[in-house]
Amino acid sequence: MAAADDTHLLERLLKGEQRAYKELVTTYQSAMRAVAYAIVGQRHADEVVQDAWLSVVRSLARFEGRSSLKTWLLTITANAAKGRYKQNRREVLLDDLPSPHGTIGDERFTPDDGHWAVAPYAWHQDTPEALLTEEELRDCLEHTLLSLSQLQSSVLVLRERQGLELEEICNLLTLSLSNVRVLLHRARLKVFATVEHFEETGEC
Amino acid sequence: MLTCKEQVARSSDYLDAQLTFRERLLVRHHLMFCPNCRRFIRQMRLMQATLRIMPDEPVQDADALAERLAAQRRKGV
Repeated sequence: MAAADDTHLLERLLKGEQRAYKELVTTYQSAMRAVAYAIVGQRHADEVVQDAWLSVVRSLARFEGRSSLKTWLLTITANAAKGRYKQNRREVLLDDLPSPHGTIGDERFTPDDGHWAVAPYAWHQDTPEALLTEEELRDCLEHTLLSLSQLQSSVLVLRERQGLELEEICNLLTLSLSNVRVLLHRARLKVFATVEHFEETGEC
Repeated sequence: MLTCKEQVARSSDYLDAQLTFRERLLVRHHLMFCPNCRRFIRQMRLMQATLRIMPDEPVQDADALAERLAAQRRKGV
């Protein structure tokens, strides 16, 4: 459902108020880009976002507030992406690329009883703010995010950074729930391994 | 009782509330007795929170884009 904020912003958008568009662009463009990137990849993501913005402006008056503004924008983006490029990614769907610091894989557990063979290292910091004060860790995380496959990284961004529900991600990217769960889990374990590595060694 | 390896394999589903009631109980039960896995889940949550607050790359040319879109809207194109 559209929030009160959405309604107010929408009125200003309909009037063509430039500051309202700036607000719209800065708030939602990252999420739109993540959706476009998931469907068409790096090379065409920006074009798709531009296309999506134009159709947003064209259809603003028809926005009825049955979903949130964000969901509406992301749906338009997904449609722009799908309309422009045929999906030919089925065979690489669950592609799992190597990550700079690996993952939490089978080798972390003893083969006989499935206990931790190498227990999770205790991180020094216990708040996200404290973790991010280390500039090197930030770079290191960005490096790991870039190493993820197109879909792993998009699903992770949409879930953790954009706060989308799994079901919304399935609908936008036309993926099954089980695929989204697998993509998300693999991506998280790689990011986990990166933070662990950094906390343990102090370097990237 | 789940093994640690099985607990880790279910951790994302646990965090996203995708487990059935029974599976959820199994994970909780394991966590109750396993400090390593408690640490793992706590740090998974911390990792999630860290990703959430990482600063976004600023949008390139937001002003120019906003200007163009607003103009487009006023033209009623």
